[in-house]
Amino acid sequence: MSSVEALHDQYSQELKGFGASLPDDLLQGLQGLSEIYDQSQLEQWVKIGVSLAHHSLRSWEATSEFFRVSPEVAKKLTFSELKQWSEIGTYLATDASLMSVAFIKATPIALDSLNFDELDKWAKQGQRLCRGNWKSIALAALYFQQSASLLNVLSLELIDRLVDIIDQLTERSYELANSVLESSYDIFSNLAEEDREPFLLFAKSVTRASWADTRLYFERGPKLIESISSHERTIFLDLASKVTMDVGRQGFPLFVDAAQSLEEIPLEDQKALLIFATNIAPSSAIASMEYLKSAPFVRSRLTTEQMERWSEVGVELLKMGNAEGAEAYFRLESSRAEEMLAALSARVELPSVSSMLRMYAKALSGEQVAVLSSEDLVDRNIGWISEAAPTTEGTTIYLPPFVNTFEEQDSNFQVYKVFTTHQTGRLEFGSFNYTFNINGQHTESSAELRESDQLQHRLSSDVENEEDDRSSQTVSTEIQRYFNLFDDRLLISGIFTIVEDTRVGSYVDREYGGIRKWLQRLQNWEVDRRPEVRAMGLRQAFVENLLRASLGRPDTIRWPQDQYTTMQKGIRALQIVNLEDATVQDSAEVASALYDIAVLIPNIPLESADVEWEPPDEEMIQIAPDMPGGGEGGEAPMPASGEELDFENPDQPEFRGEFKPELVQLMMKLKDQQQGQTDGTASPLTKEQLMELLQNSVEITINEWAEGDLASSLGMFLDNLEKDAGTPAGEPKEQSGESGDERGGGDGGDDEELPVEIDWFYYDEWDFRASDYRPRWCRVGERLGDEGELDYYQDILQKHHGLVMETRRQFELMRPESFRKIKRLEDGHEIDLDEAIQFYVDKKAGVGPLAQIYTRRNKIERDVAVAFLLDMSASTDEEIEKQRQKYQEEEEDFQDDPSKYFQWLAQRRARQAIEPPKRIIDLEKESTVLVVEALEAIGDSYGIYGFSGYGRDNVEFHVIKDLEEDFNDRVRKRIDKIDPVRSTRMGPAIRHTIQKLDDHDAKVKILIMVSDGRPQDHGYGRDRTEKEYAVHDTKQALNEAKRKGITPFLITVDKEGHDYLKQMCDDIGYEVVDNIESLPRRLPTLYRHLATE
Amino acid sequence: MTTTEQSQGFKQLAVEDFRISEEPFYLPISDEVELFESAYEQKIPVLLKGPTGVGKTRFIEYMSWKLHKNIQDGQSGVPLITVACHEDLTASDLVGRYLLEGEETRWVDGPITRATKVGAICYLDEVVEARKDTTVLIHPLTDYRRLLPVEKRGELLEAADGFILVMSYNPGYQSALKDLKHSTRQRFIAIEFGYPDRDQETEIITKESGVNPSIASELAKLAEKVRNLKEHGLGEGVSTRLLVYAGKLIHQGISPRRACEVAVVWALTDDLEVQRSIEEVVTSIFEE
Repeated sequence: MSSVEALHDQYSQELKGFGASLPDDLLQGLQGLSEIYDQSQLEQWVKIGVSLAHHSLRSWEATSEFFRVSPEVAKKLTFSELKQWSEIGTYLATDASLMSVAFIKATPIALDSLNFDELDKWAKQGQRLCRGNWKSIALAALYFQQSASLLNVLSLELIDRLVDIIDQLTERSYELANSVLESSYDIFSNLAEEDREPFLLFAKSVTRASWADTRLYFERGPKLIESISSHERTIFLDLASKVTMDVGRQGFPLFVDAAQSLEEIPLEDQKALLIFATNIAPSSAIASMEYLKSAPFVRSRLTTEQMERWSEVGVELLKMGNAEGAEAYFRLESSRAEEMLAALSARVELPSVSSMLRMYAKALSGEQVAVLSSEDLVDRNIGWISEAAPTTEGTTIYLPPFVNTFEEQDSNFQVYKVFTTHQTGRLEFGSFNYTFNINGQHTESSAELRESDQLQHRLSSDVENEEDDRSSQTVSTEIQRYFNLFDDRLLISGIFTIVEDTRVGSYVDREYGGIRKWLQRLQNWEVDRRPEVRAMGLRQAFVENLLRASLGRPDTIRWPQDQYTTMQKGIRALQIVNLEDATVQDSAEVASALYDIAVLIPNIPLESADVEWEPPDEEMIQIAPDMPGGGEGGEAPMPASGEELDFENPDQPEFRGEFKPELVQLMMKLKDQQQGQTDGTASPLTKEQLMELLQNSVEITINEWAEGDLASSLGMFLDNLEKDAGTPAGEPKEQSGESGDERGGGDGGDDEELPVEIDWFYYDEWDFRASDYRPRWCRVGERLGDEGELDYYQDILQKHHGLVMETRRQFELMRPESFRKIKRLEDGHEIDLDEAIQFYVDKKAGVGPLAQIYTRRNKIERDVAVAFLLDMSASTDEEIEKQRQKYQEEEEDFQDDPSKYFQWLAQRRARQAIEPPKRIIDLEKESTVLVVEALEAIGDSYGIYGFSGYGRDNVEFHVIKDLEEDFNDRVRKRIDKIDPVRSTRMGPAIRHTIQKLDDHDAKVKILIMVSDGRPQDHGYGRDRTEKEYAVHDTKQALNEAKRKGITPFLITVDKEGHDYLKQMCDDIGYEVVDNIESLPRRLPTLYRHLATE
Repeated sequence: MTTTEQSQGFKQLAVEDFRISEEPFYLPISDEVELFESAYEQKIPVLLKGPTGVGKTRFIEYMSWKLHKNIQDGQSGVPLITVACHEDLTASDLVGRYLLEGEETRWVDGPITRATKVGAICYLDEVVEARKDTTVLIHPLTDYRRLLPVEKRGELLEAADGFILVMSYNPGYQSALKDLKHSTRQRFIAIEFGYPDRDQETEIITKESGVNPSIASELAKLAEKVRNLKEHGLGEGVSTRLLVYAGKLIHQGISPRRACEVAVVWALTDDLEVQRSIEEVVTSIFEE
């Protein structure tokens, strides 16, 4: 019997009591170890196992594992080390045998990465996680299970950090701790080695700041930092953890946003940004992250140097200690940031120049043109598809949303100007005024001739083919009839565009010498970007060459030597439209002639053939305009071999943009038709006609409706066109989605009321922390007030008959005040007796002063405009009665007479039944009625507005009566419908009212706001409870009013009003009306004082 | 002629002695000259309507010069008495008043009285600016009676033969408050003055400023464009007078862009945005 068997026999009996499998495990272990250890060592080893099994309730399981893995372990440890190892296992078993099992089991693998000395430390890390409850034990066990492999990727030290994190998480959620631990290996094995430590460091910060984000971080973090240059990841993660330490739970979202922004930035540029961010982080952690967030946007507009200068301004703010300001600055929520951006950027944005360009276009064309972004036209879905090119549809000039062509701001503005001038030129010089078969100034129209030829040809050749739709074609517009003359509509449309643009360009060049320089610069810029002619089919090359000549650069023409006369004929014809006073009729005729030439040229590629493509000679550049004559021969025959390529019109030069005369004429016609201006002869267009026009027109790109079937797309398209023709030109009104919803539900019959039309306006909001405006922060939706019943107004008048009469009388008394007596005049209406006597005395005395003895009464015209701004917030719904009832019941003295009491009670009930309890808003309304009556008596112009809303992008502004509006029944009805709505965002409402007053012409302007409490709204402040922000913004808005020469005045019925009003109003007038019911009496009186001061 | 002469370097003469002795440059736009001559012949008062700076005053000067044949004293032209009206202009400013002179008082005729006496063209410039009672004063003068009541002296003055009342009136910028009363309006025939067309304006600018015709034509083009902006940011279009100023500056060697800036853009409006728009039109038309 070997020693192994002996030992096995000796102990197996004892071990069997613990677990049935133990003897087998022992045998296995003994067999493995017998090679390594001697007899006594083996015996000691068995004893260790046995004592471990005896150690605690389930520690035999550890023994089992001990027996099993010992042979493995023994290969790596000396016997004494193995003994110490087992001691670790034992003390772990003291806490939980399960943990001990996991520890022992994981040891062999762990030893691949660990020295023996580190074993203990490793075990202690696991032990830390164990807190005695089963969840923690399972976690600890999991830890040993996972960490064995984790040790491959993380040093023991780093694992210590990970344990810290997990330990922290266990205080919140074991489940989270588990999942983090489970995912750790995958995460860290995928991370680059140098990223692991910073990743953990940041993880620790996140966990500390907001434990719930840890899982998100472990899930998304590795992916997020992948897009950051490997050299910079450490910097970024370090920065992120610093920031998170500073700002707490905000840190992780900031990290996510910043990482996503960095993703958009080329790797090599990230370093500079990160260094900058790290530098400012000590002053403001948020600012540094906001900087990274905004970086891609800012970079898209600025060069690196410009961006540095832009950032410097933010740094200045930090240096001045205005951290909030810097944060807003870097977040791009500050006017200063936007102004800097605009000032530094070479890019010119349309909104900043559109109103000026509109006036410019109006001046040039003499028409009511509007200027809008091309995006708007594309949205209208009426055939235009390019969002980046200028164009016009006859009433509006559409321009790209921004121009970034050149490197200086001024140049880019000039580009806008050239765009506008060319588009205006199309209107001014009549591009859309083509009339069929009218002679031009330099050419005779061949249109009619062509039409009859075409008909003849068709009759003779196509007798049997009666389905040919072209012969029976009806035409809707003149230009359509013209295009119909040609078989290849694409070709004629392309040529006509080039010719007509040449003509317009030539006019612009002649009429507006000042922009000639820029026009040429843009033309050259375009020419440099033209595609290679040689690669094109011959016909296409011909058209391309025409375009180059049209751009004033015939020197860039390339054309086969032996075909030169053809090209020459083309250029010669094109020159006709460069003549002074050429008209669109000339263009059409020239285009037909060019078409005749082009259509004979086969569209075959000649590149491969040994054809000489020549630049033009002198003669060609200086060529005299002439129409091509028929039948001139003398040139080489067109090459006929080769496969024809598909013909495509050359791309339009950017500054000319899309040209769609057919659609424009159609829209004009539709518009006329809708306005009932069709002359008697022309029958209105039928749907079929329109469909036909659209189907044939090449001005609508096919791929637009490739998505759906042709017919239905066309139908939708047509609807848009018709709708569009119905709306007058100018700024389109935005429709509010919400107001539509409110009325939704019906199936949209004609009798249904139209949705309320809302005009949107944008206003800045004052951020007092940043001491800067948040640009275009609030969106104010102006709408007409709903109309209620007329009776309401009459009732109020009757009820307050006395008061109405009284205020009217008082107001009428104001009139004589508007005369002013001027004294001491040399000439006047009356003699001032005192002065006259004085003068006579002086004269006698020989001190002859001037004879200033007359007086005159000058009439001062009352020129007052006042706007009343009513608070329509939900709180105005509160009943006033409630507060009063208490007093009343105490006051009434019934002297214990129940009959009197019941009488009183019955009366009160009856009163309440007829008259519902009054609310604050009711008093506002009544006051309004009184003020209106009074104001009508003195004839001041006045507006009444209500405001409410919810959130910064939905400030409701109800117009009860506009300043310019006459007082009428509709206004009376609207007063009835002043109802409480939602919140009180005063700032934007005040700003919008300022705007209205500012547009109104009056010497004295007054803004009176009636409210019931402090300004508050969702997001009007840092959080729900903060009041400072709203008060500051309102105060700023009131100051803006004063700067505009408007006298603001606040009236509130909030008894606690004094505290914030004092702060909000500084030197602005306000009044707290203590007795709410006196408001209707008080308001007119107040106005009287204000308006006569 | 009571002329205090040149030694002091200025000329001082009584209003009724003022005559236009040299032919002023005036380019008739349509039939206004014949109309005026006929009206003068028939003693019908005339109202000149039109925006500022289109030549209303120049026209009346020209007519005053042209009507010389009706005058007996051998001097050319009919006397022209111009009264610039303003809101403080009173009836006595027009008719006359007593002045203190030592212990005495002395009556002094007002411009309209003088005009009535000598048979001059009495030109009330910008008449709507005057107070309502002033305009009523002229009623008896403007109908068949041709009488001027001089209230303070208790006299009635009959107008001399050559007398005619002419008023100018700019319907553009006045508010409704400052409109002419119908009873006043309907005593006058109205001659409308509009802006001249491009060619005519070119001629005027060339003549008046001495600038060469091509620049004059560019200025006229500018005017046409700027006038398109009327009611869209501009109260009134640019006047021919301003264009002439611009032309004169250019003639003196100022660059066209700069000349237009000071004489047109800044003279027209204070609104920055409108200024900018017009400046862009200027830079489109004139090269650097």
